[in-house]
Order: sequence, then structure tokens, then C-alpha cells
Amino acid sequence: MSQNSSSSRRLSPTTRMALGVFARYGTILGLAVMIIAFSILSPRAFPSVNNFTNVINQASLAMIIAGGLTMAVIVGELDLSIGFAASLHGLLATGLIVSNKLPIPVAIVIVIALGALIGFVNGFIVTRMKVNSVIATLGVGTILTGLAFAYTSGVPIVSGVPEAFLQLSLGRWLFGIPNNIIVMIIVLGTLWAVVERTSIGQEIQAVGGNPAAARLAGIDVSKVKTLGFVISGMCAAMTGILLASRLGSGTTSAADSYLLTAFAAVFLGSATLRDGEFHIFGTFVGALIIAFGFNGLNIFGAPTFSQYIFQGAILIVAVGLSSLGRVISKS
Amino acid sequence: MKASSKLILTPLVSNLQSIDANQIVTAELGASNSPPLVRAVGIEKSYGGARALQGVDIEIAPGEVHGLVGANGAGKSTLIKILAGLVHPDAGSIEIDGNEQFLASPHAAAEFGMNFIHQELAFIPGMTVLENIMLGIPKKSRFGIIDWAAIEDNVRPIAERVGITAALNVSVKGLSTAENWLINICRALVQKARLIVMDEPTASLSGSEAEKLFQIVQELSKSGVAVLYVSHRLDEIELLCDRVTVFRDGHSVDEISKDKLTRARLVEGIVGGAVESAGPKTTSFASEKTVLKVDALARAPMVNGVSFELHEGEVLGIAGLVGAGRSELAHLIYGADRPDAGSMTFDGESYAPKSPTAAVKAGFGLVPEERRADGLVLSKSVAFNAQLSNLENIIYSPALPFINYGKRKVGVDRIIRDLAIKTQNMDMSVGQLSGGNQQKVVIGRWLLRQPKVLILDEPTRGVDVGARAEIHRLVRELAKDGMAVIVISSEPEELPDLSDRVLVMADGRIVKELSGKALSRNAIVAASYTEIEHSRTA
Repeated sequence: MSQNSSSSRRLSPTTRMALGVFARYGTILGLAVMIIAFSILSPRAFPSVNNFTNVINQASLAMIIAGGLTMAVIVGELDLSIGFAASLHGLLATGLIVSNKLPIPVAIVIVIALGALIGFVNGFIVTRMKVNSVIATLGVGTILTGLAFAYTSGVPIVSGVPEAFLQLSLGRWLFGIPNNIIVMIIVLGTLWAVVERTSIGQEIQAVGGNPAAARLAGIDVSKVKTLGFVISGMCAAMTGILLASRLGSGTTSAADSYLLTAFAAVFLGSATLRDGEFHIFGTFVGALIIAFGFNGLNIFGAPTFSQYIFQGAILIVAVGLSSLGRVISKS
Repeated sequence: MKASSKLILTPLVSNLQSIDANQIVTAELGASNSPPLVRAVGIEKSYGGARALQGVDIEIAPGEVHGLVGANGAGKSTLIKILAGLVHPDAGSIEIDGNEQFLASPHAAAEFGMNFIHQELAFIPGMTVLENIMLGIPKKSRFGIIDWAAIEDNVRPIAERVGITAALNVSVKGLSTAENWLINICRALVQKARLIVMDEPTASLSGSEAEKLFQIVQELSKSGVAVLYVSHRLDEIELLCDRVTVFRDGHSVDEISKDKLTRARLVEGIVGGAVESAGPKTTSFASEKTVLKVDALARAPMVNGVSFELHEGEVLGIAGLVGAGRSELAHLIYGADRPDAGSMTFDGESYAPKSPTAAVKAGFGLVPEERRADGLVLSKSVAFNAQLSNLENIIYSPALPFINYGKRKVGVDRIIRDLAIKTQNMDMSVGQLSGGNQQKVVIGRWLLRQPKVLILDEPTRGVDVGARAEIHRLVRELAKDGMAVIVISSEPEELPDLSDRVLVMADGRIVKELSGKALSRNAIVAASYTEIEHSRTA
């Protein structure tokens, strides 16, 4: 009996290779299949430059926050505060502009600096106080939600938002390309270059790969981890600002749901091209898959509940593919 | 030391002989008529493009102690993994009792009686000896509740047989490596093992512990359990093995039976030609200039007031038994731990590193004892790992820290060539290299950085004869160029040829300094042991 069950588990080299290819290219293949299928099923609404630009435009905010999260997970930590932080950032940006009459650029700089500060606090709690990052960032995120309510007393800031602030997200200042996409390309491009092409990127990858070895090689592990959180915090701030600009208001929990989307994108991304390793380009592809999936559901008029099911399912599939890649690469 | 009193190692000869008379008979029969216990023919295995095994044959008879030797990277570990069901061969067949079988998983391998004791022993610390013995083995239960009393009754005779005489219900925490070995062997026998594979079993055992292990191996063999004994230590192979298979570069190149076994034939098989000996060192390059001065450094309980001076161009050996506090001393010097007391002076200035980062900046380097756990990022490439401490020298500028891939490659190519690292290319992941080559990558990292003081902790553990000679030659060359090198080693024969001076540590103190004519293997051994007993009685 044991022999039978053994034989059935035998993976021929071909099967293993096929699985390996699936684990590496499965996400890109999935994206292609999805685009082709939607194009065939809805040839008028789906495959147009307009729709594609729209999808990427909407996905840009998720891509920016997911790009930040990618930095936190590469250094081997989780950042659950980003969604709550982004909500607070949006609220604060609106408030600084509407209530405190600060010039828009000044408000933006202040909010991004606050994002960096929140990331630093996360990093400090995790590296110095040795609190598990899940707990630390969940705690910080909850505190931020509390601060958001305290700031507005729960009443969203809707009136008096200047047109210039709305144009931040809605405008197309360069060659008619939506600003969101430009910001996303700059942010992801910078993060990609930092991770893949700089010495600090090598340190980031080493800390994520084996913190003990990185430490004995002379790398300041706490500093590098904190940097991961700081970048994550700054990206959350940018997403928060752009979302407030797009919505034209500051609402206490507007960006909370970005947390789940970002996680799904990051894990889908780790199953893209590399065997279960987190990387920026992967996160970009992961976010695209989610965006096109939602777009398809919208076009076909799927009920709201199906979107939750899609999001939950894709998170599970993403993590599954990610670990499949790691298993295959080891065998 | 206290922990060892929980389990008492007894002479096994009498215990074992009384049991399993039947098995001895079958073992003798097996040797003559029946098919071999395991016969592997034409096994091939590639990782990526690297061909680890290119058609190896091995045959193990029931009750035989079969030696497996070969240089690092020769394919020993891969064969073991295949027999353990952890890795599946690309080609070739494995017969057990004459029937071809496929070992799909460790579980399937265990069902055929194959058991494996790995270099890194893994136990669950919070559990008792008995619970660890029974880990993952189906247990007798009554109404779904595990019947530990009945299990203990079953296990106890086997435990006694291998020399665990008491206390199956104590926690495994704090037990010595030797005791862990006994537990593992017991575990194998509980699973009705017919073959036990031991991978470098004496690597972390003391001399007397190793002696006991040899006895156990011989008794296992007498009782019909075959042992595949994998070791770099040829004296052990000569002592124990009925038959030896030699691997070289993924081929099985020789099979030698006990009566034809000679050291020369083993070495020739392993190396495939003349051995390049490091040779005794001819000159000392040590100058009078003190680089590092350590003064009464302490961190309880392992380091209890250590003072010494390290000179430019000197190779300073630190000898002693496992647990003497040598690695802990290295960690204090390297800033990985903070001392309770004492001070250090480096290059004439006060030196108190807050972290390894600070130590590396100041001009220190460390090759840690556990290279896989503490030395390497296994999923990353050879180049990535080699340049990890040298990043500031391969970027365009600190303000624009982009990596200059040209510079990066030049350095990596150089160490691959100079250290003869066996890798397909510099982008191959370091986890796919053999142990010796992984060690060379860690050492290569510091060649690129060129620290003023380099500390090597057990640099040749688990490394084959050839690589060992290369590492020794390299250490001498580094010293010649003015680097001060500290070599920590548990093997007394390693240090006399390599070092200008040897400090012997015991119980966290330096108990002897040896140099010149006084420096010999025997002097080191004598100092390590006598002082231990002295401090115990004290």
C-alpha cells in the first residue's frame, strides 16, 4: 500500500519542470488569459485604450502602497498599518489644506514626512522593542485609526477642497497620461532600482534572506529593517494623499481596504518570475491582475459580494503560488 | 557537564550481545546468500545544470559497516538524500532486498528500514527524551489517548541497548551532542531500522564520546543493522568499516574491502592523484606590532577573563574542547555580544564594538562556525554572498550607491579562481554548492574586504582534505600580507602547522600558551584536558 501511494507521488522531471514553469510564469499567463478572455467575452467594453488606461489609473494607488509593502516584506517583516495609515494621511492632507490653509506642496511634504515617521515608529517597535511585526503594526494601525477619528470627530471633510488638490489625482499633466500613473511609475521605478541595483538593496535582500548571516557580515539589520518600514510608511502616505485627491474628501476609513489588496498583490508578485521571492516588478504584475479581475467583474455586472470572494480567493491563490515556487526551487 | 549525568553512557558490549541472537544469524546468512540490503546502480542527479551524481553504484550488505568517503562536492550528501527519500534521482535504480523500489519520501524510506542521522541533529527542546524518540512514529493508544506507559516499556530495552540507561522522561534541553546521538540511534531502532546512515557523526563529539560511538556502531553491525558511515576522518573509516565506497566528482571510483583498505588507496581515490600538502609552515610572519590587545574580557558564564595580544601578520590558534568558550570569545571581539567586563585596544585605540557592523567598520572579519545558518544567504548567488561585506567598494559613489557590476564581477572572479570554488558561474545560488565550497565563499567575502583582523571559527569542519589544505595555505598567505588571523579549531592536529602561537582555552579562560618547539598536538590535547579536570575539582 505504501508503495502505491509512494509511486503516485513520484514527480517525473517533466512534471516538476512543468510545475516550476507554472509557479514562475503562472501569474503572467493568468494575466494574459484573463485579458484575452475578457476581450472575447466583452469585445466592445473591455479591450480599449481607454479602459486599459482607466484600469491602470485606478490600480496605481494600490500599486504605490503595495510597492511600499513589498519593501517591508523583503526585509522579512509584515506591515499591517498601511491601510489605516493611508486613511489618516488622506484625512490629514485634506485637513491641512482646507482647515489650516496650507499650500498644497507643503501639506504633501508634511504628510509624507509623517508617513516616514510612522514607518520609523513601526521599525523602532519591531527592531528595538522586539515586538513581532504583525502585532506591532496592527497596534500602530489601530492607534492611527483612533487618531483619525480624534482629528475629525468622525465627520468627513467634504467641503472647501480646492480644485488644485483634486487635479493632483485627476489631472493629466504629462502627455495626457493620468498623474496617478506617472507617480506610480516614478515610485515603483525608484523602488525597483533601489532594491535591484544599489548596495542598500543588496543589504535589504540579505536581511530578508538570512538576518543572522547579514548581521555577521557587518550589515546593520535593525537599520535596514527600519528603512523597509519607513519606505512602506511613505508609500502609504502617497496613496493616502492621492486617494483623498481622487475622492475630493477626507474620510476616516477611506483607504483601509488597500491593506488586503496590497497583500494580495505582493504575494502574487512573489510567485512571478522568481521562486517565491518578493520583488517590485512582481508586485506590479500582481496588482495588475487584481485590477483587471475587478474590472472584468464590473464590466459583467457581477454583484458586489463576488468582489469580496474574488479578493479573498486571489489572496489564497497568491500565497499558494508563492510557496509552490519556493518548494519547487528547493527540490 | 551537569546534563550528562542525566543519561549515563555505559559500555555497550555486554548489553547488546545478550539481545538479538537471531538477528546475528540472519545477518551472517545475509552476507553469504541473500541479496544485498541496498543496491543502488547508475544513480544520476543534477541540480539545475550542476551534475551532482553522474552514475554512482553502491552496495550495502545487511549488518555491514559501509564507509562512504569523498571530497566536498563529490556527491555523498546527494546520495544520502536520495536514500532518505528527500531527493529523487534522475536516473538509476535502487534495490532493497533485491527488489527495485522507489523511495518517494522520508516516510517511505523509513518503512523500508532506512534511517538517517544528520549532521545537524533536530529535536524539539521542550519535549522529553521519550517524546523525541517517538516523534512522528505511530504510537500505541487507548481510546485515542496515547499510552505512554506501554510505549515506555517498549522503548526502554532499546534505550538500554544503545546506552541510555535512565530518565526517558527528562527534557532533551541541555543534553550533550553525544547524548543526542544516542537518542537518534534509539529512535532509528524503535522504527526497526535495518540501515542507519551517519553523516559526519564525530564532527562535534569529543574524543571519548567518539570512542563510545564507535562501540555502538560495531554493536549495531553485530546485531544485523547495517551502518553507512560518512566521514572525512579516514582513521575512523579504517577502524570501523567492513567495506568503503569512494566518490569523486559524482562518480563512484573505488570499492575497497577491509582487507585491502589502506590510507594511501583511500586518499588516492578521494583526490584522484597526488595530494597537495600544505606542508609545515616555514616562516613566521608575525611582527612585534600589536594589533589587538584583549584585557580581562568576560561575559558570564562562557568567557571568564581572557587576556592576550595579537600581532600583525600572526596566525593565532585558539584550541580547546567544545564549550570552552572560544566562539563566545570571538563573538565578544566581533561585537556580536557585549562583554560584562574587560577592555580591548585595537591599533592603539580603545575598542568596544557595539555591533558586528562597528567591528567590520573598524577592520574585523568573522567566518562563523555555522556557515549555513550564520554565514550565507543560501537562496542568493555566489556573487551576492561574496560581495556582501564589500558593498561600499563596488558602488559608484556613496551618494549614488548604484552597484558597479564590472567591479563586482572582477572581485568575484578573482576569489572563484584563487580559492578554486567549484561553481558553474557566479550567479549560481550558494545553497547548491557543497559544504567546502560554501565555506570558501564565506572566506572569499573577507578576502575581498581585507580586514586587519580575521577570525575563523572552525574553518575546516566538514571540509575535505584538498579544500582543507587550500584553506590552510590561504590563511598563511593572508598573514604574510600582514593580516592578523585568529583560527579557532577543535582539532588539535590542525593548529600546530598552521599557527605561530596557540592559546588553549578551558572553562572560559586561557589555560596555556604554546609556541615554538612547545607547540605540538600532544601539548594542546594535554592542556585542554588536564586543566578541565583541575577546574572541575576546584
